[in-house]
Amino acid sequence: MSVPILLPAIGEIFTQRSGILNLGLEGVILMGALGGFVGTYYSGSLWVGVMLAVAFGMLFSVIMAVLSVTIRANQVIAGLALTILGAGLSTFLFRIIFGIKKLPPSIEPFQAIKIPVLSEIPILGPVLFQHNILVYLTFVLVIVSAIVLEKTTFGLKVRAVGEHPQAADSKGINVYLIRYICVIIGGAFAGLGGAFLSIGYMNTFLDQMSAGRGFIAVAVVIFARWNPYRALGGAFVFGLASALQLRLQAVGVPIPHQFLLALPYILTILVLISVSKKAEFPKAFTLPYNRGER
Amino acid sequence: MKKILQDSIKGIIPPLVAILLAFLLGGLLMKIAGINPIVAYTSLFKGAFGSNHRIAETIVRAIPLIILALGISIAFKARIWNIGGDGQFTVGAIFAVFVALTFPLPNAILLPLTFIAAFIGGACWGGIAGFVKAKFNANEVITTLMLNYIAFYLLEWLVKGPMMDSNGHGFPQSELINEGLRLPVLLQGTRLHLGLLVAVVLVIGVYMFWRSTLGFKTEIVGQNREVAQYSGIKVNKIIVITMFISAGLAGLAGWNEMFGVHYRLLENISGGYGNLAIVVALLADLNPLGIVVSGFFFAALVTGGNTMQRMEGVPFALVDVIQGLAIIFVISRVVYRRWRDNGARTNNDNGILGKLVSRSGKNERTNSPASNR
Repeated sequence: MSVPILLPAIGEIFTQRSGILNLGLEGVILMGALGGFVGTYYSGSLWVGVMLAVAFGMLFSVIMAVLSVTIRANQVIAGLALTILGAGLSTFLFRIIFGIKKLPPSIEPFQAIKIPVLSEIPILGPVLFQHNILVYLTFVLVIVSAIVLEKTTFGLKVRAVGEHPQAADSKGINVYLIRYICVIIGGAFAGLGGAFLSIGYMNTFLDQMSAGRGFIAVAVVIFARWNPYRALGGAFVFGLASALQLRLQAVGVPIPHQFLLALPYILTILVLISVSKKAEFPKAFTLPYNRGER
Repeated sequence: MKKILQDSIKGIIPPLVAILLAFLLGGLLMKIAGINPIVAYTSLFKGAFGSNHRIAETIVRAIPLIILALGISIAFKARIWNIGGDGQFTVGAIFAVFVALTFPLPNAILLPLTFIAAFIGGACWGGIAGFVKAKFNANEVITTLMLNYIAFYLLEWLVKGPMMDSNGHGFPQSELINEGLRLPVLLQGTRLHLGLLVAVVLVIGVYMFWRSTLGFKTEIVGQNREVAQYSGIKVNKIIVITMFISAGLAGLAGWNEMFGVHYRLLENISGGYGNLAIVVALLADLNPLGIVVSGFFFAALVTGGNTMQRMEGVPFALVDVIQGLAIIFVISRVVYRRWRDNGARTNNDNGILGKLVSRSGKNERTNSPASNR
C-alpha cells in the first residue's frame, strides 16, 4: 500500500532537487496506470505493461518539463493542467479502447512472492517479505536513487542546479538539460507507481484510481526533506494508515468507515503542518532559470 | 470607454486561441481514435444550445461554476492556490441544508440564515488551509485538495448516517428542504432558477472588491510578498482573509446548487465543479467579467459533453482533455510573446523592447510561489 505513494515520491525527489515542483504527478500516475494495463492486456506480459507505463509516464512528464523549463510557466498551474489533462486523457483513451459501457476488462496481476525463511518471521515476515516483485523492485530503486543523488556526479549536478543554477551554469552544467532529465525521471517513477496500481495492486484500470496519491507523494517528499530513505519511512506511514483502515473495517470497529477512508488525507495535512515550517526547500525551488538574465 | 473596449478585445484573444487550439487537438485525438470530430462537436454544440431547454440547462450549470470561479480568482490573484473548491462547495451546502432542516423559523428569516451558513461553512473549510498556510507554511495546494477528499467522505457519512432521510427508502440523501425555501424557477418548464440573479450580484460584488482597499492589498500580496510586507501589509492576515472569502464564495455556490436545483443533500454534490472552476478562472485571467463568459462557455462544454457521450458514444472525458489542453495553451502564450518580441528586436534595433523582455522575465521570478517559503 505504500508503494504507489513511494514511487512517485522518489521520482519527485529528483524533480524537486533540480528546482522544479511537479504538482502534476496525479496525472502522470494515471497515465502510467493506463499504460501498464493496456500493455499487459495486449501483450499478455506484465513486464511489457511495466515498460509501457514507464514510457507513458516519461512522455507525459515531458509536457511538464517543457512548460516549467522552456516556457518558464507558473509550475503550480502547469501541474494542475497536467493533473486535469492526465485524468481526462487516461479515461478517454481507456473508454476509446475498451468501450463505454462494457464491464471493465481485467488481467492477471503480479502475484505475491514469499521469500523463503524470511517470510516465516512472525509479524515482520508477512509485512516485509510477502509481496509482489514490484514492491521489492521499489526497495531497490530507493537505494539506487539515494546513491545516485548523494554519491554520483550526476546527483551533485542535480543538487547544484536546484540550489544555484547560475553557479552551476558557470561551471558548464547544462541547467535546462539536467532539469529536463529530472522531470522525466520523476515521470518514469510516477508511471511505474501507476502501473503498480493497475497491474500490481488491482487487476484493471479505473477512472481517477490514483485518488490523490500524487499530491500525497509531494507531501511525503517535503516530510522526507528530499531524502529517499526518509521518503520510504513517510510512505510507509501512509501505507500503514491504509492497511489499518482495511483491518479496522474487517474487525468492525464502531467508527464510520468514511472516517477511516478519510484518514490518509487527514494524516497528510497533519504531516504538512508538522514539517513545513522547518523544511529547507532547494534554494532555486520553483524558480525558472533564464540563461540570458543575470 | 473606447480604451476599455479595446483592452477587453485584446484580452479575449489569448484564451480564445487557447480554446481553439485545445478543440483542434481534441479533434485530432478523436480522428486518431476513429471518431468523426465534426459529428462529435456538432452533437456537443446541439447539446448545449439546441433548444431553449438546453440553453437553460447550460445556464443552470454556469451558475455554480461562475460563483466558484469568482472565489478561486480571489485566491489566485493573491497567489494562494486554492484548489479546494469542491470541498468548500460541499461543506457550504451541508451547513446550509443543515440549518434549513433544523431550525423551525419563518422562511423569510431562515433563507438568509442558510445563505450565511453556507458562506461560513465554506469559509471555515478553506480557512483551515489558509490558517495552516499562514501559520505553518503548509502548501495550500495539497491541503485544499486533501480537504476535498475529507469533505467528500464527510458528506457521504452524513447522507448515509445522521442526516439520512428516514422516508428515503435507504437512498443516500437528506430530507427535502421545505418548498418555501426553494429558489423560484425563472423559466417555466426548465430548471433555470433565481440563483442566476445571486450570481450576477456576486459578480458585481467581486468587481467592487478589486476596487476596495482590501482587494488592492490582496493584489499586492499576490504580486510580491516582500513588497507587501515592507509597505506595512500584514501578509499572513491577508492570506487567511483571502482564503476565507474565496472559500466562502465556494460555499455560496453550494448553497445555490442546493436551494436552486437539488433541494437536498446527495452524495458527491460538487461533481468536479471545483476543477472546472479553476479552468474557468484561469482562462478568464481572473477577471470577474471574463469569468462570466468563460463560465458560461465551460458550462456549455459540460452540458454538451454529456449529450455527445449519450448520442455519439464519444467519452465525456474528452471535455477534461480539452480543459487541460486549454490551460496548457493559455500559460504557453508567453512563448508567442517572446517570439514576437525577438522578431521586433531583430527588425528594429531599439533597446527598449529588449529591456521589456528581460523585465518581464524578472517579474516571473519574483512572482513565483517560491517567495512564500
